[in-house]
Amino acid sequence: MKQHRPDNTLREAWILFMILGMIMINFPFIHIFNGDMSLLGIPRLVVYFMYGWPASIAVIWLFVRRLEQESQAQQNNNNNDLITR
Amino acid sequence: MTVISAEKIIIVSLCYFALIFFVAYYADRRRRMGRSLLSNPHIYTLSIAIYCTSWTFYGSVGKAATSGLDYLPIYLGPTLIAFGWWFLLRKMVRVSKEQNITSLADFLASRYDRSAVLGAIVTLFAVFGITPYIALQLKAIAQTLDILFLPLKSLPEPTSGLIPYLPGQIDSAFIITLLLGLFGILFGARHLDSSERHEGLVVAVALESLVKLVAFVAVGIFVTYGLFDGFIDLFQQFHQRFPDRSYLFAVGTAEVPYTKWFTLIIISMAAIMFLPRQFHIMVTENANEEHIKKAMWRFPAYLFLINLFVLPIAMGGLLLNHGDTTQADYFVLTLPLGANQPWLALLVFIGGLSAAAGMVMVSSVTLATMILNHLVMPVILKLKLRAQDLSGILINIKRLGIVGVVLLGYLYFIVIGDSYALVNIGLISFMAAAQFAPAMIGAIYWKRANKYAATWSISLGFAVWVYTLLIPSFARSGWISSDLLQYGPLGISLLKPLELFGLSGFDMYTHSLFWSLMFNLGVYCMVSILTRQSDAEKKRAIMFVDVFVDQDQPDERLTRISKAPTIVEFVDLMSKFIGEKPAQTAISAFLADKEIDHRGSLNDQDIFSLKTFTERTLAGHVGAGSARIILENYLAARGSEMENIFDIFGSVTIDGAISREHLSVLYDVSQLVSSGDSFQSKLDRILELLAEQFKFDLCVIRFLEPKTRTLLVKSLVGETFNHFGKSERNLSNETYIGQAFLSNVTMVVNDTDELEKPASSAIIQAEGITCFAHLPIVLEGEPVGILSAFSRSGKGLFTIEFIALLENIAGQIGIARRNEQQIGRLVLVREQEREMQIAKEIQMALLPASLPSLEDIQVAGLCVPAHQVGGDYYDFIIRKDGRYDVVIADVSGHNIGSALIMAETRTFIHSRVDGINNPAAMLQALNDYFLKDLDRSDLFVTMFYLQYNLDDHQLIYSNAGHNPPLLWRQKVQQIEPLDAEGLIFGIHKKINFEQKNTRLEPGDILLLYTDGIVEAEDSHQNLFGQERLEKLLSEEQQSTPQELIDQILTQVRLFTGYRHFNDDVTLLAMKILK
Repeated sequence: MKQHRPDNTLREAWILFMILGMIMINFPFIHIFNGDMSLLGIPRLVVYFMYGWPASIAVIWLFVRRLEQESQAQQNNNNNDLITR
Repeated sequence: MTVISAEKIIIVSLCYFALIFFVAYYADRRRRMGRSLLSNPHIYTLSIAIYCTSWTFYGSVGKAATSGLDYLPIYLGPTLIAFGWWFLLRKMVRVSKEQNITSLADFLASRYDRSAVLGAIVTLFAVFGITPYIALQLKAIAQTLDILFLPLKSLPEPTSGLIPYLPGQIDSAFIITLLLGLFGILFGARHLDSSERHEGLVVAVALESLVKLVAFVAVGIFVTYGLFDGFIDLFQQFHQRFPDRSYLFAVGTAEVPYTKWFTLIIISMAAIMFLPRQFHIMVTENANEEHIKKAMWRFPAYLFLINLFVLPIAMGGLLLNHGDTTQADYFVLTLPLGANQPWLALLVFIGGLSAAAGMVMVSSVTLATMILNHLVMPVILKLKLRAQDLSGILINIKRLGIVGVVLLGYLYFIVIGDSYALVNIGLISFMAAAQFAPAMIGAIYWKRANKYAATWSISLGFAVWVYTLLIPSFARSGWISSDLLQYGPLGISLLKPLELFGLSGFDMYTHSLFWSLMFNLGVYCMVSILTRQSDAEKKRAIMFVDVFVDQDQPDERLTRISKAPTIVEFVDLMSKFIGEKPAQTAISAFLADKEIDHRGSLNDQDIFSLKTFTERTLAGHVGAGSARIILENYLAARGSEMENIFDIFGSVTIDGAISREHLSVLYDVSQLVSSGDSFQSKLDRILELLAEQFKFDLCVIRFLEPKTRTLLVKSLVGETFNHFGKSERNLSNETYIGQAFLSNVTMVVNDTDELEKPASSAIIQAEGITCFAHLPIVLEGEPVGILSAFSRSGKGLFTIEFIALLENIAGQIGIARRNEQQIGRLVLVREQEREMQIAKEIQMALLPASLPSLEDIQVAGLCVPAHQVGGDYYDFIIRKDGRYDVVIADVSGHNIGSALIMAETRTFIHSRVDGINNPAAMLQALNDYFLKDLDRSDLFVTMFYLQYNLDDHQLIYSNAGHNPPLLWRQKVQQIEPLDAEGLIFGIHKKINFEQKNTRLEPGDILLLYTDGIVEAEDSHQNLFGQERLEKLLSEEQQSTPQELIDQILTQVRLFTGYRHFNDDVTLLAMKILK
């Protein structure tokens, strides 16, 4: 019986990143950037989100790419199976 | 400030709406042509951006300018959860596709035992929860219109009568309400669509998403780089002007405490997944699971882009308005206006309109679907409306629902809308969506979660939501007394809505989230753990939770329907709710890969899957809960029941207690039951097997003889004295066997020294039996016989495990018995069918086998009986003198009786044709002859009789109430019906049959037909009618008679959508060549 699930590593990575994400946009982590300090006049928290947000989107993008590669690989495998049979 | 004329705004808005409608229409057309636009993942991503409503478009800036960064978590939450869409969303999509789920309420109802109550509750709450959100959109549009029309008027103020041409009582919001309702109907409820997918609506929403993004970014760039000198410049200027407002860029402030920040992230995560409109767009309208992958990063990117310029616009607005925040919600619009950029302002208005319109349209369509399927349908089903075709009523109810939902939003806006800032109303709806989260997530990850848990947790969550959020918002708007907030109900301070049970120090959203989720989640878990699921619910749970695990559903094979409906009955049932054509399409898809036996029916297993299929198809239209009720009622009304096929190993636990020997006996018995042996030999061999394997001295099977109420021996193996085993048994509780049968329980005596029934003890001890057991043989819940086993060699033979085994075998004997009865019935049906087949062959032989081909005329005829035999008749008789008699007749009914009358008619005509010279006389003679016969049989006959003379081309004819034949006159290119006075046979003794005559010319065509043609109905009960027939005749005037008849038959079949006719159909065509 073939189960069409993404590989477990991905699943674990996903859970890990979710937790990490939850931490990184919440207290106390964002407290690090809170305060009057600024970068070129832009408050640090704003800078954090302006760069952190696209970065997290990039992570999702990488994750999706990995998913696609894996389903590609699985398809190839299936094809090979068929051929060798 | 610039003023844009009202005309311009109205024209641009209308053009924009027209564009959207055109795009939606185009998308629908593409879909029908099979080139769906939804195969494009960009459209899916953009349509998800329906999340960004006017609240985002205007409200974010307002929020950023007044309280600070707390507009952000609303978009950070979705970004975070989007990361998990491949697991969470994909699972929801897969489940919904497999179960044909139409809405969020349907999803929950479907998972939790198809509970109609849960569906209704979710629907009610969704309507309550979303109404404020719709109000918010209406408010945004109305206020932006105000700003555009009267920029100098100070705002905010109550909106009233602002479109200059309208009377004072009708405000712009009302017009917009009606417009959006109309759009909802146009996109979402033009017709009842299977599976609730609306391609046009989705594409329209995607376009709107694009427009609002472009508009917002355009303003952002204009403010940041046009009015100011980039981000850094903005921040620097802002710091100089308002050094005391640095809290706008910080979290953990009095305005935005960390708890609120956290709350907003949580509820926005719930909202993106579980707002009904999000569910609809993301799950129901999903065309391809692969699109989710793309949307996972593109949608967060969209959110990032639309938020990028929120702060700059907010700061720009504050700088230019000298720190005044009263108009902060509309900085996006007022900034371009103030800077004399009317076209940019118009673009912004269109963007905001897009944001609001998309949300209102999709929400109203989604809610209307839920209302129809979960509130209205159950009522309709309760009332058991007997309408033939409900689909027309249903679509109108749905349209009404759409308008109703939008109007409800308008009402909320009028009553409460003005007192609150945009963003707060939105959060109330988000919190409502969060109440669905536990039950939704549990639905696909926790098998144990059950319907009581879901029903109670959602109800309780909503009660708390109403109390801690909705009521305070009513109180704050002055709609109810604010004493309640200050002192609690009846002065009980512990129950203060904003400080429930003394929990104080939090903002109202955090407070409400905590308490509502606490009750919601708590009850959900507790009730799930404490209550049990029914078997059916367990099955549903597995279908949802294990959707990605390959399932070979063993249960389907083990269930059958007794007295099952036929395929046609299932189709009729579906037609009633979804219309005939869709039902036909659905059933042909289902039957494509099924084997149909020669009797046109399916085997047990396929009938069961047809039932499941029917339910799923209906679920696509009316929701799972209603579909279940429909099918259950339907089956119950027919007396059909679901029953379990005996699972041979199901009741035996395979552990140390059961031996290999037992298992092999079970296996052998099941082989015997399914073998092709006769029933008697099956029983004998089962008993032989038992006696041999378990060393029984006597095994007996008795079945109940219903007339005498006694148990008669059907099979016996082993030795017996005194006819002990062979004798019949009366039913009484005095004997063990009687008690076993009457109370339908297994009776076991492991030691005959301790018998309790004196009636049995003497004979049993005389036989030397030491232990025995009587096991009821059960068929459809009722005992029909007893399997008995006796031993003389030992005591205590019947252990619990052994009894379980024997009970299993008794159950299998029950199946063998049922199979035998069914075969008996089958044989009977087949015999009747064979007789009908013979009747059919004889009847067909009575019609002219071939029609003469002559030089002067061409003739063709055809008769298609609706059933095996029919009452239609046509004939063509050549007289000796060169005249031709042509007759067509229709006997009412299409059964054996009609067929006999038809045969009699033919015999009469053939035997008397030489003596009767003209049509009128023939009809007169027939009427006299039939008068008595027809009166007795309740049948009647119509007939048209004509006589054509080849020599002088004269046609004489008479009619006995038959449909007038059609005559195509080649010369004048016209059709002339041939009618003559005369009544149908069998009514009056004296009928005057008029005889008429006419002359036929070369090229003329005469078409005779029975009413089966003109009265053929399509799915809307429209008749094929004489007009269509005439049209066909004039179009086909060049064809040969055979081609003409074939063409008519094809067209009638196309018209009805069936291959099969409801009435006998007969056609006879004659063409004059010379």
